Amino acid sequence: MTVIVEATNVSKWYGKVIGLNNFSLKVEGGITGIVGPNGAGKSTLFKILTGNIKANVGDLTVLGQSPWRNPAQLAQIGFCPDYDFLPGEITGREYLRYVGGLHGMSGDKLKARTEEVLELVAMSKDADRNMGGYSKGMKQRLKIAGAMLHDPQMLLLDEPLTGTDPVVRKEIIDLIKDLHAVHGHDVIVSSHVLHEIERMTHRVALIYKGRAVATGDISEIRQLMSNHPHHILVEGNGLIPLAQRLLTMDFTVSVELRPDRRSMVVMVGRSDPFFDSFPGLVKETGSDIARMESMDDDLESVFKYLVG
Amino acid sequence: MMDLERNLLGLMTVFKFEARKLLLHKRWMFVVVLAILVGAVMGYSATRQGADIGTASDMLNLLVLTFLLPVMALIYGASMVRNEMDDRSIIQVVTSPLDRRTSYIAYYLALTVVLVILLIIITLVGGLSFMAFNGASGGPELMLAFMAVLCIGAIAYSSLFLVIGLVMKQPLYLGLFYVFVWEYFIGSVPGAVGELTIRHQLQVIASGLTDKGSFVNISGDPTTSLLAMLVMAVILVVVGAFLFREKEIA
Repeated sequence: MTVIVEATNVSKWYGKVIGLNNFSLKVEGGITGIVGPNGAGKSTLFKILTGNIKANVGDLTVLGQSPWRNPAQLAQIGFCPDYDFLPGEITGREYLRYVGGLHGMSGDKLKARTEEVLELVAMSKDADRNMGGYSKGMKQRLKIAGAMLHDPQMLLLDEPLTGTDPVVRKEIIDLIKDLHAVHGHDVIVSSHVLHEIERMTHRVALIYKGRAVATGDISEIRQLMSNHPHHILVEGNGLIPLAQRLLTMDFTVSVELRPDRRSMVVMVGRSDPFFDSFPGLVKETGSDIARMESMDDDLESVFKYLVG
Repeated sequence: MMDLERNLLGLMTVFKFEARKLLLHKRWMFVVVLAILVGAVMGYSATRQGADIGTASDMLNLLVLTFLLPVMALIYGASMVRNEMDDRSIIQVVTSPLDRRTSYIAYYLALTVVLVILLIIITLVGGLSFMAFNGASGGPELMLAFMAVLCIGAIAYSSLFLVIGLVMKQPLYLGLFYVFVWEYFIGSVPGAVGELTIRHQLQVIASGLTDKGSFVNISGDPTTSLLAMLVMAVILVVVGAFLFREKEIA
């Protein structure tokens, strides 16, 4: 498959703040998810990919060319930022005509394409309303429409699901999948929530503190998550026999029973075998479990584990 | 599509969008108030004893040419690109395949044209108000002369304040310094130093178009001043366009 983005040892800093730190990544066509917590460097990466900022060091090619000071290349890229920049005083249709003009489109071609993308993002009905009155989901859909209006080869979608409700989120996820499957766009989409990305693609890159800490198939990433030590809080009654039984299991690293004997923290080396065998152990020891939660089953702790 | 064609279409798109935005911005209420004030002051001065076309010339010089022109150019120009960078709405322009230098020229043209339109309206309101209360002849010619000078003034001031807005995070401070310190204080210094202001050069140009009022006392070659203003504007627009291309939009 064609490589659409190749970054080698790219660093970008703003004064004393590092945006990207010796960042290396190779992205092939299709849908690729960029996952990382807030401040990890996702937006900095998109700004560099669109040529809005320049890397201080390192090599970067987007669709085979350097993006800095290369406006002609933006004809092949559609960008949807994570923030709201839509002018509230014009209608959605007027906005798309404006975007089309910026991309050198005009006349019947622009008109037809405007209707086509409005239909695609399910915004035809509301296209003649001022954007100031749009909901968050409508704005996101229109931003995506603006990014794809000129039919670019590659779409960069920065946190397109942020602030949307579950219904809109599902619609946008379906739309993003269609953008590749039906319309053939290569899509790079970022999020700080892994399972959102998981619903769109199996190829992900994890970014943390300006570095790409893991790339590959999402099942490999899941394996990494599964293999890193977990702390699991268990609350209920009759926990002592359960704690004793857990200590005999090879996946258990330690069990810390709290003074009230009504809760304990279990540290396991691998979480999957623990979760698989836990119901059987509860039944066997006759414990009464009220609540159980993983204390570090979030991306932040995975990233911390991955970067040591 | 050829780059030239795409850039021309893009230039027109940015120009129309920005001009509309400036004209429809809620600042239009401020412009209406200014026009009414200029009309009221000009109307009142027309009724004073001894008022003639020279009085109208001096009032337009004082109110519009030396005050409203730089102040409005500052308010509209310094905030134009700066506000879009601050609220990040500029992203649409800088992620399009339009050459950034072309975009900058489109911003400049929109700013200049809008300023010219607004200043012409204010001049018309002031001039017609004066003529309504005073029978002095030469009013239309005087207004035309002022409109011509205001066009050149808009060309010059727009180029200055647009580039200040591009390079500075708080452009109003430097703009206010230029308008109220440099133009008023330094411009009052006798000799060559006092001539190093846009205001003085515009008055020299005005003196070549009308001999009414205190313009008769202005010395200097109008053609040289006109060339100086145009050359300055071209240099500032070229520098601004280059800086915009090099600017990182974070």
